[in-house]
Formats: sequence, structure tokens, C-alpha cells
Amino acid sequence: MVNYIDLTIQILVAIGVTALGFAIGMLFNGIARKITARIQNRVGPPIYQGYIDVLKLFTKKTNISHGWIFDLAALFSVAGIALAFLFLPVAGVSLLSGEGDLFLILYLLAIPALGFALGAGASGNPNAAVGIMRALMTMLAYELPLVMVIIAMMVYYDTTSLAVIVQKQANMHWAIFIPVFFIGALVADMALQGMLMEKPFDIPIAPHEIATGPMVEFGGKHLGALMLYKMMGIVVETTLFVDLFLGGGVILSVSQFGWLAYVVNFIVWFLLILFVFFIALLINAVFPRFRIEQALKFYWKYDALVGLLILIWIFVGVTP
Amino acid sequence: MMAKELFPEAQEIRKGRIRIETQKDKVGEIIKKLKDNSYEHFVMLSCVDWIKEGKFELVYQMWSYQYKEHVMISIKINRDGESMLSMRHLFPQIETYEREIHEMFGVNFIGNPNLKEFILEGWPHMPPMRKDFDTEKFVKDFYYKIPEVKEE
Amino acid sequence: MNHENWSKLARIMSKRSLWMIHFCTGCGAMEMPPVMTSRYDMERFGMHAMATPRQADVFLVTGYLAVKTLKRVVQVYEQMRDPKYVIGFGSCTINGGMYWDSYNTIKDLSKYIPVDVYIAGCMPRPEAIMDSFLKLFDMIDKGEAIGWQKYHKYYDQYKRNQRMAFSYRLDEVKDIKEDDKE
Repeated sequence: MVNYIDLTIQILVAIGVTALGFAIGMLFNGIARKITARIQNRVGPPIYQGYIDVLKLFTKKTNISHGWIFDLAALFSVAGIALAFLFLPVAGVSLLSGEGDLFLILYLLAIPALGFALGAGASGNPNAAVGIMRALMTMLAYELPLVMVIIAMMVYYDTTSLAVIVQKQANMHWAIFIPVFFIGALVADMALQGMLMEKPFDIPIAPHEIATGPMVEFGGKHLGALMLYKMMGIVVETTLFVDLFLGGGVILSVSQFGWLAYVVNFIVWFLLILFVFFIALLINAVFPRFRIEQALKFYWKYDALVGLLILIWIFVGVTP
Repeated sequence: MMAKELFPEAQEIRKGRIRIETQKDKVGEIIKKLKDNSYEHFVMLSCVDWIKEGKFELVYQMWSYQYKEHVMISIKINRDGESMLSMRHLFPQIETYEREIHEMFGVNFIGNPNLKEFILEGWPHMPPMRKDFDTEKFVKDFYYKIPEVKEE
Repeated sequence: MNHENWSKLARIMSKRSLWMIHFCTGCGAMEMPPVMTSRYDMERFGMHAMATPRQADVFLVTGYLAVKTLKRVVQVYEQMRDPKYVIGFGSCTINGGMYWDSYNTIKDLSKYIPVDVYIAGCMPRPEAIMDSFLKLFDMIDKGEAIGWQKYHKYYDQYKRNQRMAFSYRLDEVKDIKEDDKE
């Protein structure tokens, strides 16, 4: 017999966590714009600008549509990224997890891009077609070094579960303090830059070149959903990085400190993803944009080479 | 060779400014000769409306990077429907200048296949850069007669 | 939440996050960089430039409009999503300005698309532009910036005027009107 009360509580918690993820994502959007403005010696918008933008987009009228695939594509992206967020351990707590969930997360991270592609295809705009081709190309490019580093971590920690990796990094045994994974973190950070679509890898969006690429026909409520996806994407991708290399923000053990551990871990997790995002923003603020073949060359020639060396090092070091 | 040596009849307005007044059937060979003698930059083709004489003056302007010298080849054609030979075989960019002058002054260039409308779309009146086109009257008859949007 | 409160919330939100379509005509384009960059910084109000009309809320017509440009302006305006606002820059959009007797520029923008705020001057200084933004916020707050509703309501009049300008001949437009009646 199914325990309905437990199930209901679980569903409510999942909804709550997703909502929290969206809220943090919107806050990050505001923080990002404020920091970029300060770097450019401007005052910048208020820090809650992300909330206003999304709310405004959802109050706009929809007097243009390109068919039901276009309407649903943005929702597809949002659902994909929310599901990926539920699979990630946030401050050591993961709602959905199991053996081999690291593969699943990598797979889920590709789904929003496909939703993006569906919407762009349905809009029929040539800029959108160019943009989505570039987006999938960049994805292909950054996945290779990222997957190499992740496989190295799987071999080192002897597991395919992200939750177990986080557990094994408890008591400040963070992966980034191991020299080989410090280099791995640098490789993954470059891949993160491409995942976040920040400069120099904002090739798919490129506002002055192809008019925001895949989003060119999106406006109003559709754009609101896409912005939610992008903001949530920031949280998901930085959390993946923090879980892999910075111990997921777990510094106090739950068995020892009880509920206080949850609060402290959560705050530490928040500060860590903010820090990772801050580095991405600094790189974003000073670099111009790569062309697509330069990005491919960077990822496959240098990033993937270092990733491969790490992989070989780990294999040689672990197997004897 | 400099333009002054090539064409003794050319007059020097001031240093670096040479003006050659000629007939319309000699323009082709003058431009060709100048092009072969380091005047390789065709600056522009312009048109002046001398309404009292009843003539259009076409000015072909060329520049030499070697001598730092500006040569203007000036010809006059009648205002009422006299056509000119196209020079687009010498410099391809002349095609666009001829297209503009055809639209703004109504000069016909024989041999230019691309004399379609350029800036004005669907202009039904006299070419607007001619001196006998009264812009003020046109504006008052046209733009100021478009009614305002009435709100009920 | 009833409809009135909802539209009030919508107005407050759209006031604080006006996205501008980055389409500049005439010399007003030159006044926009100081408004956007560190000197005046319009992102303080949540305004920033968007690349496509679909994403934009406010349309700055920055200067004179040739008839050929007006065709594009009308297209861009119709692609924007409601609610949308228009700011007319400088005397060129008010009465033609220094192009008052030019054969190819339109004289009064509000005959062709509804304009919410005009800025006088040739060209207006960035201070005047910031002032017009504040004025537009005020109008949105009070519900006075209803240009987009006017465009729906008097669509036939705006379309007639646009056709007149595009055809360069008033008598030809009368023929088109008779065609429409048939």
C-alpha cells in the first residue's frame, strides 16, 4: 500500500525546492547585472531586478504565437532544468538520487538545449537556426573535457553517484585540495563558462551578431519561461561544480549538529555557488567573444588535452 | 605621368586640383588613360544642374595616391533628355553613382543594366534634385495634407 | 486577485523594467551611448537595450524618418508585444525639424504610429532623455500611456496614413480606399 502522506510531503518539498532554485536564480541574475555594472563603473539596477523582469514578462500580452510547439518548448526547457536540479545534492541533501545519477545529470543537462532547439525551429527565424546550431556545437565542445574530468573523479572515488562523491568529501576533504583535481577544477571551470553561456563562449546568444540567436522570436510569456530556465541553469551548473570539487558545501555533519547543520550547510552552499558564479562573471566582464571554431579549438585542443592527461594520471595512479 | 603632362589643355585650379573640361565622347579614353597612369582611385561621379544654361554638368573625380592629385573631368550635356554613355566597364563602382544620378536627376546612362530605383521607392514625380522641382510646394501638397488621427 | 489589482501590478512591474529596442535612426543614435553607459546609466531604472522587437517594451524613434525608414519602423512597431510604448526624439519627429521642407522625410510621427512621449530639442541632451524616461514611468503608473490601445482602436486611420506616405501621391491612395470598399 502506498503511503499517501509521505508521497504528498515529498511532492510538496520538491515543489518548494524547485521554487527556491528559481528564486535563487532570479537573485543571481540581479547580482550578475549589478556586478557587471560596478565593473563598468556604473550604478546598475537594483539587486531584485531579476524578479521584476520575470514578473513583467509574465504580465505581457501574447499577441503573437508560432504554433503549439513554440508555446511548449520554453516549458520543456524549464521542466528539464528543474528535474536536473532535483537530482543534484544541494548542501548535501538530494531529493532524487541513486546509483549512477551522475550520468543521468549530464544527460538531463542536455534536455533544456533541445527544448530551446524545438522553440527556435518552430519560430522559423534564420537567426534562431544559426543560434541553435551554435548552441549545440558549443555543447558538443565543452562536454568532452567535462566528461573526462568527471570520469576521472568516478574512477578516483570508485562510484557513479554524485551523492556518494559529496559524502566522501566531508570533513573538508574537498577534491580541489588534491593537486590533480585542482587542475581538473580549472578544466571544468572553463567548461562551466561555456555551460553558463558567458563570454568568451556566449556564441549561441551573441546579441549584436545574430540578435540573441535562439531567443530571437521569443517575447512576453515565452521569454519569461526561457529566462526562468536560464536563471535556474546558473544555479544548477554552479551547484554541479560545487558538488564535484568543493564538497557540495557540506561542512557540518547532520548526525552531530542536527538542524543547525542544514542551515549552515545551506548558507555555505549558497556562498560557494555565488563565488563560482562570481569568477565566471569576472571572466565574462573582461573578455570579448570567440568565434565558434575558436571555441571548438580551445575546448578540444587545450581543455580536452589536459582532461585526458588527468584521466591517464588517475588510471595509472589508481590501478596498480 | 601626371595629369598636366598627359593633357596639356587641363587647367590647374590650385595645387593638387586639376580640372579637365571635355566632350562627352572623350570621357572614356581620358579615364582609361588616367587609370593607366597611377590615378587608380575613382572618387565619385557627381552631377550639377545649371538650369539657366539648360545643361547638366557631370563631374568624374579621380585621385592619385602617388602624386596626391585630384583630377576632375567635367562634361556638360543638355537637360532635356540627352543621355550619356555608361563608364561601368572602367570602374565597377560607377554603376551605383549612375544609378543614383539617374534617380535624382533623370539622366539616362546607355549601357548600364542596373538603372532601377535606388533610394526612393515608387517615386511618381519629377526627379527631386532638379532645380525646377519645388520641394516646398510638394511638401505642403503631400505631407501636410495627410490627416491627423481623429480620436472619438 | 481581481482584474484591476492585476493590471496595477502589471503597470508597476513594466514601469521598473522597460526594455528598449535597439533600433536607431537619425542623429539621436549619438545621444544614446552616454545614456546607456557610465555617465547617465539608464540601467538604474532597469532599462536596457534588447536586440529584437519581440523582447522589447519601449521604442525610441531617435530622429528624422525617411519614408523608406518609416516602413521599417512600422514593421518593428507591429512586431512588438503589448503593452508597448513609443518615445519620439527631437523636433524631427514632432514637426520635421530642420527637414521641414524635405521631399522624403515624414513630418509628424504621431500621424503614423501613436507616440506616448515627445522630447523637444535638436538633439535633446541626455538629461532630457532621462527626464522623458521619468515622465514615461509616471504616465505608465497613472495608466496614461495608452498608445498601444489607440493603435488597436484607430488601426484603420493609422494604416490609411501609412499608405498615404508610402505611395507619394494622395490621389493614388483614394483609389486604394475605393478598392478596399469593394
